[in-house]
Amino acid sequence: MKRKDMSQLRAFWNEFKRVKFGIVGLVLFVVFVLIVLLEPVLMPYRDANDRWRDMTYWLDSPRNAKPVWVNWFTAKDYAVAEVLEPTSVTESQVGSVRMITMEFDYDFHYQRPPSDLQLVTRLTGNASVQMELIRPDGETLSYQRSTSSSGTRELRLSIAQNLQDKVFRLAIPFADADVIAVENPETIDAVATLFAVAGPGMLRDTEPLEGNYVCRLTVALGSSESSVDAAHVIIAGGVAGWMGTDASKRDIWSGLIAGTKWALLIGLLTSFVSVAVGVVYGVVAGYFGGWIDSMMNRVFEVFLSMPLLPILIVMSAVFKPSIWTMIIMMCLFFWVGPVKTVRSMALQIKENTYIEAAKALGASHRRIVFRHLLPQLVPYAFATMALSVPAAIVYEASISLIGLGDATVVTWGQILQDAYASGAVLQGTWWWVVPPGIAIALMGMTFAFIGFAMDTILNPKLRTR
Amino acid sequence: MYWRYAVRRILYAVVMYAIVIFIFSALFNAVAETTQMAQITEQVNAESRGVQQASQMRPEEIQQWRADRRTQLIQQYHLDEPIVSRIFWRTLNTLTFNLGQSTQIRSSAGENDVWLVIKERIPRTLILFMTAVVIDVLIGVWLGLRKARKAGGLMDRTTSIVTMVLYGLPSWWLGMLMIMIFAFTFPIFPSGSMHSTPAPTGALANFVDLLYHMALPVIALVLLRFWGRAYITRNIVLGTLQEDFIMSARARGITERKVLYGHTLRSSAPPIVTMSLLALLASFGGALIFEGIFSWPGMGNLYWVAVQQNDVPVLMGNLALTTGLYIAGLALLDLIYGLLDPRVKVGGKA
Repeated sequence: MKRKDMSQLRAFWNEFKRVKFGIVGLVLFVVFVLIVLLEPVLMPYRDANDRWRDMTYWLDSPRNAKPVWVNWFTAKDYAVAEVLEPTSVTESQVGSVRMITMEFDYDFHYQRPPSDLQLVTRLTGNASVQMELIRPDGETLSYQRSTSSSGTRELRLSIAQNLQDKVFRLAIPFADADVIAVENPETIDAVATLFAVAGPGMLRDTEPLEGNYVCRLTVALGSSESSVDAAHVIIAGGVAGWMGTDASKRDIWSGLIAGTKWALLIGLLTSFVSVAVGVVYGVVAGYFGGWIDSMMNRVFEVFLSMPLLPILIVMSAVFKPSIWTMIIMMCLFFWVGPVKTVRSMALQIKENTYIEAAKALGASHRRIVFRHLLPQLVPYAFATMALSVPAAIVYEASISLIGLGDATVVTWGQILQDAYASGAVLQGTWWWVVPPGIAIALMGMTFAFIGFAMDTILNPKLRTR
Repeated sequence: MYWRYAVRRILYAVVMYAIVIFIFSALFNAVAETTQMAQITEQVNAESRGVQQASQMRPEEIQQWRADRRTQLIQQYHLDEPIVSRIFWRTLNTLTFNLGQSTQIRSSAGENDVWLVIKERIPRTLILFMTAVVIDVLIGVWLGLRKARKAGGLMDRTTSIVTMVLYGLPSWWLGMLMIMIFAFTFPIFPSGSMHSTPAPTGALANFVDLLYHMALPVIALVLLRFWGRAYITRNIVLGTLQEDFIMSARARGITERKVLYGHTLRSSAPPIVTMSLLALLASFGGALIFEGIFSWPGMGNLYWVAVQQNDVPVLMGNLALTTGLYIAGLALLDLIYGLLDPRVKVGGKA
């Protein structure tokens, strides 16, 4: 770059520094870039990018859990979702049978029970399984099961789905006789009862019993080929992760982080390509004038006469685009934005005597356009780029909301579409609807700050002092 | 001569519409023809069943009859001609509002003519967005003038920041939030649609019911948009305030109020009107998601329904009519601009 350009750039930067909200915008932009760069660190579910729609990936999370910070504002804390690994594993040999005992400690100190407790493990070959759940007050729930088949299969014992009758039996000595008479294992909230103080209200008006719960898994393996592995206990808490989970058990925070890079990509790529094309188009039309200008003007006006979102939606519905073709489609219509202003600016600039001098010296058209006209429009182009980033993001989100997005990536719009389609608005699942929208708005605000700051510098008329 | 300018502008709009429709016809020709072929097959099947029952034809005869009927229909829709001529016929049909038959969607009277399906929705869309834009422009221009008067002051700066904060916020997301809060959590407003079921009787009750249903979407739209309007108005007015005639007016001792509302507003009117109408047009295209969220039975909602039911003829027809209204709006904009700013209609080179 030439020294003249550098000093111009430095002067621009000096002015930009003085606009406070411009700096705020830049800082936010850096934060977004950092989020993209630190994605592996920030995202608790590493494979969220590739397996967002793979329901088996999310099995271990609770459904519709609130964000963890909800506990900071409630008097009665929700149980936090956890996955417990065994705290102790002992192995012993009894004759030909191998006994493996694993213990899971769960320190329950919340005022609202989780929605489920599941013991998950993988068994191979002949195995007999015993599960014991020992409550802080000594009451114990036990369950036994033998399996004998070749091959590996997953054992998933859920309190809420498989063991209601055990829980019910556990409560019978304590609960109110009238309540026992009308309830049955299918109607009670088994998990709440399991985590309740033993007493008359154990089945209906449960009061949580805090303390250390031990889940003991004993597996008797019949042969040397048999094995047990990957045992863990899932506490499906009422709150999970920074942004909670959705109706498909997905971690919304991971989705938001994964969506950041796509929002930046869609916004920056679309605005860069379309503004670059628009500026060159406007300059060429303005500089050459005559029939070239009027022809280019007609083409421009045809594009201007198409309502943007409807045509994008119809094109998406017909051509089923990927994220890349969607960006191309948006560029196809976004470039008209800066053309009018750039053309009139070019008309002004080309009347300057130095252009005439350049012509007299025999400079080619290309040289004049690229050396004398375009550099002067660069600041304007950057301001327009910044200001058209939010529009691109919102358009992608809108197309996704109708259900026409690229299903192989995670974007904020698609998270909103899932939320809308599964009735989150109606059910009041605010942690599913609010964060993606805030993310879109924040990203829009970032570029609005940067763009408006440049705009105030470029339009001295708008300056107030 | 204003009328000459007007006629030229309107003719230009018509030509532009024809060109755009031609482009659409070419672009979506393949999918439109696939749908039409499927519709022809369906029609022939339905008719042949009727014919068979009525005339007791032998199977070979039925086969023959079906083949004949099919060829006849294909000829009628010009589907046997070369591609350029097919696109040309499609363009001509669209331009004459001959938009074909829908595959799934029916109008409220049960017709499946695409034109009738869309026609009944046009006024509903217009009433919602015109109301919103009128309120939005009134508040926006008022605020913009106040901002310009004390440019750089606290009020100006804070409202400008709000403008930027809301710049990239999708209006339909705000709509979702408002439905969540004001329709489900606190059931003050209805969650969607245009009228209660059953609709109240009597013109006045009906009107009040309509206003009640319109309240939430209009509030959501206005709440988000007027900031931007105020910002643009401020910039336009600020530009005018630096003109010499304003300085001379002030020098003559005319009150600041008169300078602002008389001199400045008059000469800033053309760009402000442009901005307002452009806002209406933008909201017309951009708010189609918005209608879907509020299940407002307008043209925007129809896109949503047509996409979900894969009703290609309705989708195409809706696009054509939306574009038509859009281009008409652009023409109207220029006509009003010509009235307000006499320099335009002279037709000098810009």
